[in-house]
Amino acid sequence: MSLTTPSTVRALPHAEWGRVRQSRRTADKLMRITAAGFTGLAIFVLFWILGMLIVKGLGGLSAATFTQITPGPGSEGGGLANAIVGSVVLTFLGIVVATPIGVLAGTYLAEYGKGSKLADLIRFINDILLSAPSILIGLFVYVIMVEPLGGYSGWAGGVALGIIAIPVIVRTTEDMLRLVPGPLREAGSALGAPPSVVITSITWRAAKSGMVTGILLALARIAGETAPLIFTALNNNFWFSPTLKGGVSNLPVTIYQFASAPYENWQQLAWAGSLIITMSILVLSLIARRIVRGSK
Amino acid sequence: MLSTLELSPQSLDADAPVRIAVKNLDFYYGEHKALKNINLDFRDRHVTALIGPSGCGKSTLLRIFNRIYSLYPEQKATGEVLLDGRNVISNDIDVNELRSRIGMVFQKPTPFPMSIYDNVAFGIRLYEKPPKSELDDRIEGALRRAALWDEVKDKLKASGMGLSGGQQQRLCIARTIAQKPEVILFDEPTSALDPISTGKIEDLLEQLKTDFTIVIVTHNMQQAARISQYTAFMYLGEVIEFAATNTIFMNPSKKQTQDYVTGRFG
Repeated sequence: MSLTTPSTVRALPHAEWGRVRQSRRTADKLMRITAAGFTGLAIFVLFWILGMLIVKGLGGLSAATFTQITPGPGSEGGGLANAIVGSVVLTFLGIVVATPIGVLAGTYLAEYGKGSKLADLIRFINDILLSAPSILIGLFVYVIMVEPLGGYSGWAGGVALGIIAIPVIVRTTEDMLRLVPGPLREAGSALGAPPSVVITSITWRAAKSGMVTGILLALARIAGETAPLIFTALNNNFWFSPTLKGGVSNLPVTIYQFASAPYENWQQLAWAGSLIITMSILVLSLIARRIVRGSK
Repeated sequence: MLSTLELSPQSLDADAPVRIAVKNLDFYYGEHKALKNINLDFRDRHVTALIGPSGCGKSTLLRIFNRIYSLYPEQKATGEVLLDGRNVISNDIDVNELRSRIGMVFQKPTPFPMSIYDNVAFGIRLYEKPPKSELDDRIEGALRRAALWDEVKDKLKASGMGLSGGQQQRLCIARTIAQKPEVILFDEPTSALDPISTGKIEDLLEQLKTDFTIVIVTHNMQQAARISQYTAFMYLGEVIEFAATNTIFMNPSKKQTQDYVTGRFG
């Protein structure tokens, strides 16, 4: 093919400069400044909270915070040891309750119930549960566990936290399983593997890091929950019973009580406890991000 | 007619027994009838190629033989597909047992997220519990037959996902033959691979037909001509012509076949 210019080259139409009116440029600039301004405001508030938390929290933090138990009214010093241990136990219980239920329900939605009416209904209810007020869940567990069993207990607290974690895990498990390519499942089936084997040894494995991340995020979510514990695990200003019967001390409710108390050492411990919870959630989120990135 | 096609010397045994016989087969995606009255015989230890333009139903036909379509409730087949005399599309067939006898290799490589060793062992472990030494031998044997052993023998514990595309596809072939199926279905196994990997897979197919009955769907007519002894040309859900590969490419009896293999349409 030759590259000679064709005889009829049409002239490019004149570009008309100034077609964009000044008012439009101004509106554009205004929009940009407004958006940036409000972003700045949101970030400012966030850093304000964080800053205050770090300054006041670090002030209240000492070795005693981790070694001594919560002080009684009017007594000096004290720490949060019982509340920290209690929170770890309750959160762990919650995740132990929620993980099998959440993972298996998510698996049902993504693998077995695909496209069925029942699955659509469950997904809808799960989404509602995801945004249900957590105090409602606390009351629910109060009615089904605390009242019939004759008192507050760590078990009731664990169940309440578990109910809050379940919809988070269901959702992430389903989403992660849906990302597993269909041909991988077909390849498993094509070797004669029944669906249960395809799910447990192929799809779960392929979606593992995403599913673990979902569980970690659920953990971070319930670590700071206060309302569901008020009606279930209550709190305890001493070491709680190893059987978890009676009130179990925990950070969120301790913060709630101490922050509104007139004693200065209580208020300082409330700040320290807030800092500890926030940092734990931050670390959990960072680990979750790490896992997601590591799998890519 | 096709001087550009290199036809392999066809070692075609016209007396070979029929391994899969398809009789009056229809197939539906919901309401849509995708295959119409298919009748075909697949000879034991021969390579049969299914060719035709996109959407003609060749992959659909392949996916009936191992009942993989049964994973999708809206898909339905009627008629007969006889494997050693039993109709595999009837409801009383154990589909998992059937699939252990009819292996399948997909268009895109599908290594499982586990080690190379476990990938190949996966199919064996489903139905047998051989002692470790025998399992090791079978895995080595399968990887050797898939021409992959030399490349992976030092990293059997490494993930199968870390291999190149061509290696992954050979891993999938090793995984399939380790299970000792009678038939292997290939669904455009080289369409996602580079020419060198494609060449290796084609050499492999040549080796495999001494032990397995092979059905291959391919878009690449040269490939069909190179590796198969029988070829079926399909169009719009029907088999237009089915004959020895030499006949289909050199002396087809239907005009449509001739137009397709000479590249005039499709």
